[in-house]
Amino acid sequence: MRLQFILGEIGSGLRRNLSMVVSVILVTFVSLTFVGAAGMLQLQINQMKGYWYDKVQVAIFLCGEGSTAAGCASGTATPEQQDNLRTLLESPAVSQYINDFQFESKEDAYKHFKEQFSNSPIVDSVTPDQLPASFRINMKDPEKYQIISETFSSQPGVETVIDQRQVLERLFSVMNAASLVAVIIAGVMTVCAILLIATTIRLSAFSRRRETGIMRLVGASKTVIQLPFILEGVIAAVIGAALASGTLWAVAHFFLGEYMSKQYPDTAFISPAQTLLIAPALVGLGVVLAGTSSLLTLRRYLRV
Amino acid sequence: MIRFENVTKVYDQTTRPALDSVTLEIDRGEFAFLVGASGSGKSTFLRLVLKEDRATSGAVYVAGQNVANISSWRVPRLRRGIGVVFQDFRLLPQKNVFANVAFAMQVIGKSRSVIRDTVPEVLKTVGLEGKEKRMPHELSGGEQQRVAIARAVVNRPGILLADEPTGNLDPTTSMGIMGVLDKINQNGTTVVMATHDDDIVNEMRKRVVELKNGVVIRDEARALYTSMIPVVGQSRRLKDASGRDDAGVTPAGPMPGQSPDSDAAARSGESRL
Ligand SMILES: Nc1ncnc2c1ncn2[C@@H]1O[C@H](COP(=O)(O)OP(=O)(O)O)[C@@H](O)[C@H]1O
Ligand SMILES: [Mg+2]
Repeated sequence: MRLQFILGEIGSGLRRNLSMVVSVILVTFVSLTFVGAAGMLQLQINQMKGYWYDKVQVAIFLCGEGSTAAGCASGTATPEQQDNLRTLLESPAVSQYINDFQFESKEDAYKHFKEQFSNSPIVDSVTPDQLPASFRINMKDPEKYQIISETFSSQPGVETVIDQRQVLERLFSVMNAASLVAVIIAGVMTVCAILLIATTIRLSAFSRRRETGIMRLVGASKTVIQLPFILEGVIAAVIGAALASGTLWAVAHFFLGEYMSKQYPDTAFISPAQTLLIAPALVGLGVVLAGTSSLLTLRRYLRV
Repeated sequence: MIRFENVTKVYDQTTRPALDSVTLEIDRGEFAFLVGASGSGKSTFLRLVLKEDRATSGAVYVAGQNVANISSWRVPRLRRGIGVVFQDFRLLPQKNVFANVAFAMQVIGKSRSVIRDTVPEVLKTVGLEGKEKRMPHELSGGEQQRVAIARAVVNRPGILLADEPTGNLDPTTSMGIMGVLDKINQNGTTVVMATHDDDIVNEMRKRVVELKNGVVIRDEARALYTSMIPVVGQSRRLKDASGRDDAGVTPAGPMPGQSPDSDAAARSGESRL
């Protein structure tokens, strides 16, 4: 009975303040979309880092079938060449600069590739043979990349030495800046949302002051009096969060999945399913936002 | 049932207290008028009983419990034991008579079947049988106040507080309302009614507590609106002589040899209402 009563109160409250409720939904929708966009950018950065990015700084790619580099005249790197490279890496002259290194075979490379590009159509057209084996090196000081490059570039069986950071860092810094902008916009919009929810609750409490006055007099509990107002804000915020999640999913599905992944087939993009990981966080954030904002407002404007 | 011990209420330091060292006891089942000019502190008295405000000093006991010791989450329980009606009825305009009364039961979680049984019963008590479906604006002032009374007593509170319930009503309608309040009182509910309607007080002949500038200047059983004996000291002496306790501090039950003053006698005298 009490639950039914509270639900009825929420329904009538939502209907009575429909325009305010719609604005709360829209503001939380926009603010949470920006929060989610920042989250998506971070997910995308992770996706692009792939298996090795955070573990190593420098990659020495060995010659493969179709390699055209000078050191690859004899075709695919032989086991002897691999052993020589390994010996060189372990020699004091080189090992003083590196923490450790790992060898990635063609099969490993294929496995990691499949993981990273799981959302891209390219994954079906690649075979292990097409991927080069490599040594992945974790540097003591990433700035010393030049030394490794000079030592190994001219070794037989080495196609190329790459400083991974140099390739992706600039892109990542742009993406991180974009995340930051999204977070700042989200912050401003969140303040808007909090204030708007507070105003909505205040208006709602004012328009129902007769009912709440009577409820107080006949001894209704604080929960019964306050919950409809709080849930009103929370429901609006949850709808906003759901819309934001839907928008992020659509961006991942249509923009990244259908458009970008065709434009940039050698870039790994996040999948729409991954954006759904952000959705619960957005809903939670919306609930906390609306809940605290309405609780604080009620403390001031609804005597119990 | 309600006991004030040296209760002082100061709203605003710069003005005189709204209640000034009031000591008073109202017994279970009693009917008491709180009279006095506007601003004499009648509403303040009722608000303190409800714990709507806290006393500046002194103690307020309701049903034996000091309301100052009731934690805020238990205040609703205190208020479930007290019904209140006001001069302005305070009905919900978009709900019909039945829904207005049922509202008081819904919000404290009574089941639908209990509500369906109880509301018509209470509406019958207040004389509104068959008007369940009317909207408040389709009712006369007296009928609206009856709905408000029904709502106040539907959860069977031990105490009914009425703050000038007849203030907006004509004399005939007012007497009808008094009949309802008297009936509720006879069912065992303690009734405290603030009023400055002298006709009603004179007609009812109940206990009268008179406030002036926040001070109790008179407390008489079966009294009139204006005292025959205006000096406090004298009225006390007179009451002491008649066997009634001083200002009702100790329980006032019928005492041996107290024939004309006993509550039972008083009630039978008013049953004509
Ligand atoms: N909320 C309040 N704030 C300040 N002063 C108040 C408040 N309520 C009542 N008062 C003052 O307390 C005094 C008693 O008021 P009240 O109890 O309402 O008297 P009554 O009901 O007998 O007319 C008056 O002087 C009034 O101005
Ligand atoms: Mg008053």
